[in-house]
Amino acid sequence: MNTTPRVLNRLVLAVVGLLALAAGAFGLALLAVPAVASWWRVTAPRIGEGIDGVRGRTTLEGQEDTWLWAALAAVLLALVVLLALWIAAQGRGRTGVFAAVGGPGGSPPRPDDGGTAGSVTITAAAAEQALKAALLERPDLAGASVSTWELRGVPGLRVRVFPRKGVPPYTVAVEVSRLVEALDAVTGYRTPVLISISSGARVRFTRAERVS
Amino acid sequence: MSADPLDRSTPASTARLVRRELHSSRAIASVGTAVLLIVALLVLLFEALLKAVGDEPFLVDLEAAAAWVGTLPGAAPASLLGAGSALLLVLGALLLLLAVLPGRRPRYTIPNERAAVVVDAEVVASSLARRARVAAGVAPEQVLVTVGRTTVTVQVRPTSGVPVDADAVRVAVADDLRRSSVVPEPRITVIVAESGVIGQ
Repeated sequence: MNTTPRVLNRLVLAVVGLLALAAGAFGLALLAVPAVASWWRVTAPRIGEGIDGVRGRTTLEGQEDTWLWAALAAVLLALVVLLALWIAAQGRGRTGVFAAVGGPGGSPPRPDDGGTAGSVTITAAAAEQALKAALLERPDLAGASVSTWELRGVPGLRVRVFPRKGVPPYTVAVEVSRLVEALDAVTGYRTPVLISISSGARVRFTRAERVS
Repeated sequence: MSADPLDRSTPASTARLVRRELHSSRAIASVGTAVLLIVALLVLLFEALLKAVGDEPFLVDLEAAAAWVGTLPGAAPASLLGAGSALLLVLGALLLLLAVLPGRRPRYTIPNERAAVVVDAEVVASSLARRARVAAGVAPEQVLVTVGRTTVTVQVRPTSGVPVDADAVRVAVADDLRRSSVVPEPRITVIVAESGVIGQ
C-alpha cells in the first residue's frame, strides 16, 4: 500500500543487472575466446591513448593533472545522492490524517453544511484505533493492525488481520468489511480499504480455535 | 462515478491495490543493490578526490587499475579472473531476473464489494486443512495441505483401520474454496496415503 516506486526499482535493477552481466561475460570471453583476447590486446592501448589525449587537453596551465578528476568526483557524488534518494523512496506513504474539511490542506466544505466557518480533522489514529479495538474483540483473530496510507492523494486504510489457524478467510473478509462499513457510517467517508489476511509467526505458535 | 464526494474508493483503485499487494515491490533487492553501489561509488569518489588534489591513492590506484584492465587477461591468474567474471555474470543475471519476472507473492484475492481483500496462501491452506480434517475424521496432524498458485494438494494419512473417503474430502475442500472464491481458482488433488497411522 506504500508508494514504493516499483517501475523505477525494476528499471534500475535491470540496468545494473545488464551492466554486471556484460562485465562478467566480457571477463569470461577474455579468458575463453582467443579472438576476443587478441582484439582487446589491440583495442586497450588505443583506448588508453585516447584517455591520455583527453587528460593532456583538459590539464589547465600550471596544474599537474586534469580537472576531469574533480568532474568525476562531482558526477560520483551526484550518483551517490541519487542512490540515497532511491533508498529513501522505498516504503514511503504513511499519513497521519484520515480526513480534513476546511482549513489548510483540507478539502473545501460541502455546499450543504450551511457555510459554517471552521475546520474539522479526523486523525489517522482515531480511525485506526476504532477499527483495531473492534477487531481485537473477535476471538477468531490472533491479532490485528491498522495503518493509514496515502493513495493517489486520498488516505486509505490498510487492515492487517491474523486469523487463528483454520479460520476460513472468507468469513474473516466478510466480517472485517462489515466493520469497515460501520467505520464508514461513523466517519462519513468511504475510504479505500485493503484487508490483508495474513499468517504470522504469532499465529503459527498459537493453538487452533477449537470451537466455532 | 459515484455522486457522493465523500466516496473516495473506486473499483479502479481497489484493483490497483490488489495488484500491488499480489506482486513483490522489489524493495529489498533495490535497497541491497543501492547500498552496494553507494559503497563502491564512495570509494571511487574518495580516490578521485585524492587524484584531484594530487595526493597519494588510498585503497585503489585508479590509473594502475585501468592499466591492469587494459592488460587483461595477461597478468591476472586465470582462476581468479574466471571466478570473478562468473560471479559478476551470476549477479547480473539474478538482478535482471528480479527486474523481469513478475514476482508473484503466495497470495490470493477474495472478491469483496467494499474493500480490496488479499489472503496469504498459508491462511487458505490452514482453512482447507481444517475442512479436510473434519471431512476425513482424522486428527490435525494427519492432514497436510499444500497451496500453490494453481493447485491445491491435500495429503491425508488415515487412521489405521478407518478408511478415508477421498471424495468427501475433495467435496469439502472444493466447497471451502468455492466459498472463498479465491482468484485464480486452483485445481484440487487429494492423496490418501496407503499406510495408516495409529490414531488418537
